[in-house]
Amino acid sequence: MATVQLKNIKKIYPHSESKQKKGLFGKKKDEEPEKKHNLQITAEGTVAVQQFSLDIADKEFIVLVGPSGCGKSTTLRMIAGLDTITEGELYIDGRLVNDVPPKGRDIAMVFQNYALYPHMSVYDNMAFALKLRKMPKAEIDRKVREAAEILDITEYLDRKPKALSGGQRQRVAIGRAIVREPQVFLMDEPLSNLDAKLRNQMRSEILKLRQRIDTTFIYVTHDQTEAMTLGDRIVIMRDGFIQQIGTPHEVYNHPHNLFVAGFIGTPQMNFFQTRLECENGEFYVPLYGTRFELNEKQKQMIKERGIEPQEITLGIRPEHVSLCKEGGVEAEVDVSEMMGSSVHLHCSVQGEEVVVIVSGLELGEEHASGFSHGEKVRLHFDSNVLHLFGADEVNLL
Amino acid sequence: MRLGQRPAYQTFLLYLALVLVTLFFLLPLLWILRTSLITKAQAYQIPPNFHVQLTLENYIEVLTTNKFARYYLNSAIVSLSATVLSVVFGAMSSYWLSRQPGNMTGAKLAILATQMIPPIVLVIPINTLIRSVGLNDSWMALVLAYLTFNLPYVIWMLLGFYDNVPRELDEASAIDGCSTMQTFFKVVFPLIAPGMMATAVYSFLVSWNEFVFALVLSGNATRTIPVAIAALETQHGVKIAELCASTMLAILPIVILSSFIKKYLVNGLTFGSIK
Repeated sequence: MATVQLKNIKKIYPHSESKQKKGLFGKKKDEEPEKKHNLQITAEGTVAVQQFSLDIADKEFIVLVGPSGCGKSTTLRMIAGLDTITEGELYIDGRLVNDVPPKGRDIAMVFQNYALYPHMSVYDNMAFALKLRKMPKAEIDRKVREAAEILDITEYLDRKPKALSGGQRQRVAIGRAIVREPQVFLMDEPLSNLDAKLRNQMRSEILKLRQRIDTTFIYVTHDQTEAMTLGDRIVIMRDGFIQQIGTPHEVYNHPHNLFVAGFIGTPQMNFFQTRLECENGEFYVPLYGTRFELNEKQKQMIKERGIEPQEITLGIRPEHVSLCKEGGVEAEVDVSEMMGSSVHLHCSVQGEEVVVIVSGLELGEEHASGFSHGEKVRLHFDSNVLHLFGADEVNLL
Repeated sequence: MRLGQRPAYQTFLLYLALVLVTLFFLLPLLWILRTSLITKAQAYQIPPNFHVQLTLENYIEVLTTNKFARYYLNSAIVSLSATVLSVVFGAMSSYWLSRQPGNMTGAKLAILATQMIPPIVLVIPINTLIRSVGLNDSWMALVLAYLTFNLPYVIWMLLGFYDNVPRELDEASAIDGCSTMQTFFKVVFPLIAPGMMATAVYSFLVSWNEFVFALVLSGNATRTIPVAIAALETQHGVKIAELCASTMLAILPIVILSSFIKKYLVNGLTFGSIK
């Protein structure tokens, strides 16, 4: 149990490393360095993480989420001490640990590919860290068996990792971490190697585990479902920068910018290029010939912030678009995805794609198994839950 | 007939071919064995006489009058020392190389490049060096000379084994509380032990069979088996019976060693082929 503070953390991977990766004959001298993702490349090297500041409270479950190459794993590795910090300060439980090796940080980490020691049994894998600390044998035995009990792997204690399934290996990896009772628990995409069913199961087990061991968790994932379900707070990253920090509710309902709005939520939020207009002091958004009047709260915010009429990106989540019999906007169904409890409709409206989630309860008998390609429907957009993004992609409201 | 099952005549032909090929390779060795077990007079007989009494007199003579026991000891000391030193230093430097960021292609190629120099080219300069530091006719001279070609090969061979051990294991052990040395000995070493065994055997074989350096650098006190065997070709002719007996004696440790560690050798050479 401990607080973790990251103050203006920056990580630069020097050019020499990337050149070495290319090999002796890999690249000509005057050639531009290869640009991976949209990471900033400076004279010193590729900036993987920058301006990263975050205060993690004691016993908080923080999830770092973002697409590949956004710097989330690099951040976690810096917290673990596996990567050096180029700039900034990292405190664990109030102690500056920038130059402290991993073993001095009192952390445990679960790796994406489990990283179990293949030559040791499950028991020895879990006991390894405790043996290194020269803990009495009886205590090691008690702790290992207790952790194995929690994770339901007692019967596998004598097996080698290769004799276990992916899910069992992941439990052992978690077990190896919990026996140490670390101050901070780090998890680097621990469920990404599991199949969908097992991933759901393990996700709920991690939640149970969290209630049971009650320590600080920092969890990295690219899966927004994991982020939303596990985190007390979510840190959304892109190209080495933090995009938003907030509770799952905040990031979903009040995305700070276009990227967060698009990244969080499945299916993705619908975006439309339009304008924020003002007529007689009343703000509205025109879309497909209809007029979206803003509600009182939105109007109030626009006035308070002194927002002028301008080009905007309008965002509406698929669940806030519904089917209607009359009025609304006419659309043609391109694809109908039957999800069981709901249907995801990919429609085209004047050449643009709009995704709609239709609850199974709303489907009549004729559409019980979905909609057919080319079928005409009418869409109604809920104007109470509009998201307006300015030219700088930041949420105006 | 089940799929994949051959007719009997095909199996017979296959085995016949295998026996013939095996005999082709084994015949010289079998002939050496036969010659080592007959008297000197019979060994020179042409055409050879196949109805002979087997005797161990050549072995006894080689081991007593020719001081072969001494050469055995020299060979064993030099080969074992060169093997142990090259595996110990090679294991550490190769681990370091394998764990550096990037591919270290330049360094790896430089190591490999040393293997492209014909050993004969190095004999004279190394001989001059050894004499200048007063190490001529010593075990140390041979061990140092053998290290020059053993070490790069050991490093190169072990790199492949280390690269098959995921770096996450090093990282996991660092988080578990291991120092770099503890990570090496407790986590990485057990995983590459079969590979290290295979490398050690190879290094031993190369050192045991080495001739050119041994011929130039060794004296009467430090003569190794290959040089001693070559010395059996005298101005009075080849002492064929003793030569065959000493050849069999030279092969013996390799055969015993190979059969003992066959399991590790096969493991080592196929390490990493299957995840």
